[in-house]
Amino acid sequence: MSLLELKNISKIYGELKALDNVSLHVDQGEWVAIMGPSGSGKSTMMNIIGCMDKPTMGEVLLDGIDISRESSKSLTDIRRDKIGLIFQQFHMVNYLTAVENVMVSQYYHSMPDEKEALEALERVGLRERARHLPSQLSGGEQQRVCVARALINHPELILADEPTGNLDEANENIVLDLFAQLHKEGTTLIVVTHDPEVADAAQRTIVLEHGKVAREVINENFGK
Amino acid sequence: MITASLLRRRSRMLIALLSIGIGATILAGLVTIYVDVPRQMGAQFRSYGANMLVLPQEGAVLKRDHLAGILENIPQTELIGATPYRYVRLDMTSRQQSFTAAGTDFSQVPRTSPYFSVEGSYPDSTREVLVGKNIADTIGLKVGSTMELTYQPTASPETADPEKSRLPDAELAGSAEGFGGGMVYVSIKLDEHSAIASLKIDADTQTPEYGGRAAEDEAFLKQFIGKTLPLTLGENVDALSGATVTSEAVVRAMNDARKAEKTVRPQTLNFTVAGILTTGGEEEDYIFLSLEDMEALTGSEQLDVVELSVSAAADQLEAYADAISQNSDTVRARLVKRVTRSEASVLEKLTALVFLVTLVVLLLTMICVSTTMMAVVSERRREIGLRKALGASDSSIRAEFLGEGIFLGLLGGVMGGVLGFVFAQVVSVNVFGSSITFQPLLLPVAVIVSMLIAALSCLLPIKHAVAIDPALVLKGE
Repeated sequence: MSLLELKNISKIYGELKALDNVSLHVDQGEWVAIMGPSGSGKSTMMNIIGCMDKPTMGEVLLDGIDISRESSKSLTDIRRDKIGLIFQQFHMVNYLTAVENVMVSQYYHSMPDEKEALEALERVGLRERARHLPSQLSGGEQQRVCVARALINHPELILADEPTGNLDEANENIVLDLFAQLHKEGTTLIVVTHDPEVADAAQRTIVLEHGKVAREVINENFGK
Repeated sequence: MITASLLRRRSRMLIALLSIGIGATILAGLVTIYVDVPRQMGAQFRSYGANMLVLPQEGAVLKRDHLAGILENIPQTELIGATPYRYVRLDMTSRQQSFTAAGTDFSQVPRTSPYFSVEGSYPDSTREVLVGKNIADTIGLKVGSTMELTYQPTASPETADPEKSRLPDAELAGSAEGFGGGMVYVSIKLDEHSAIASLKIDADTQTPEYGGRAAEDEAFLKQFIGKTLPLTLGENVDALSGATVTSEAVVRAMNDARKAEKTVRPQTLNFTVAGILTTGGEEEDYIFLSLEDMEALTGSEQLDVVELSVSAAADQLEAYADAISQNSDTVRARLVKRVTRSEASVLEKLTALVFLVTLVVLLLTMICVSTTMMAVVSERRREIGLRKALGASDSSIRAEFLGEGIFLGLLGGVMGGVLGFVFAQVVSVNVFGSSITFQPLLLPVAVIVSMLIAALSCLLPIKHAVAIDPALVLKGE
């Protein structure tokens, strides 16, 4: 069953075609990597999928809703309800503790629930570090808090932007293991990366070049 | 979470809080002064002297006893002082020279004439005088010098009209030569029908066991009561036995008194100089003595004017003056226009100035708070982007910043309300030299106003916060 469908979308900034007639199909529960050099349109695609931007042309169906026609206010609602975001720079609120950072996401979604937030931290192995401020956490720990924050509201889709870009190998593996676990539970994952190793962890890799899909690679070793 | 968020961002919030707090302090202080200025300046102006005069109405006599009734028209709290004056010419025996003397109440003089500068001290008992500097210089008087002052009755029988209706309660006085060339003095009070109501005889110069009895003999005195002047001895009044000459003198003196405005025996008293007065004005040519001494010299409780110093606005003063004039048949009050008018115009300018400064401070506070909040917004740009990416709606961002601003406004307002009073107190004590009363209404007003200011100041920063693009968090900045 299809969760996300991009139908011939283009994003044009003046003369520049950031995305040029791109189509993409992601099934429910799929784990997809998007690769490409800088300037290939990765970020633009990510913004559009993340409901933070709209294509100049084309249709974007997320869970059956055409988000290219929605107002920015309802885009916010859709993003909050359906998407969990993970960023390269982690983006934790630096004056809030780990558990409070997780609760921020709950706060905008429904109701902050500390017990649930602590459980999410438990999942990423940071139950003991819940009361620490970001400055007291390592980069890997911060990213794991962000994973917990992304999954706290049970989103349909987890959208990760270079999630391991600032991590060492050990932490990269921890994060990838978490992704594998989420995938097993049926969460759809879209990971934007330029790290082939991270891409290799996914079922399928979409390679973007100059705003177009250059090729698509199925990972035959997936799950092995 | 908001408080936690504020607590962990102490330093920045402290600046915002401080700017609101200081703004609120100055505002609350200025408003307090603004409200208090008329009172403050009113008291201040009172150092320029009396602003109201009470004078006898035409044909009436103003007396000391009237004073209490006059003052009933003015609230105690607004009355700074009320000084009665009685002016007469007194002769200084040693100099063969006469001076203007003012009988007054020395306890009130410093209140209505604070600019009086006294070398030595104000007299604090009778038989002490305050001498104007010009007089002191001319005659070489010093504190402690003594002098003899004499009151010479000035009225002349020729100019007085015997048929003129007498003032109620007026004392008529006359004199005539008695036995052995000694003078006999009488003083009479008439009732409303011009009949004699009471009389006093001074026959000290007469032989004590004969004519001298005229002053005390009840039967002799009593026969005059109820009779109308002029009188003839042997016809309507009888002579005192064995003192025909004195009795004749008494009747002549009484008939003489009928024609006279005032004829009393010259009185002489000894005085000590308690202080020398410098004012830069005509008062330096006067001798000031107590009303008691003045009464002893002139034998009259009459007053010429009462100077009042009242701390009230011009229109209120006018109302008091009208009340005094209307509630009395004897006196009329009028304002010293020169003083009240300049007071009103200075007050107007001062309140306008304070109002202007208040406006400017209000504006500066808003700019300051707005700038700080702007800095907060740009400092938290990424966090705001993140919050939006996590699903924060524009209205929840708006509510968060507005809530923060209003919360700061609340704290700053409480701080400003309290410190503002202290500030106003300091200004008041240093500038006006008097303390102010705490206005309980000030605190809620300060809090509400600073909350409003904080909210208003947040509008532009909030606009910027709402405009932040959530996509910025994705760009790996």
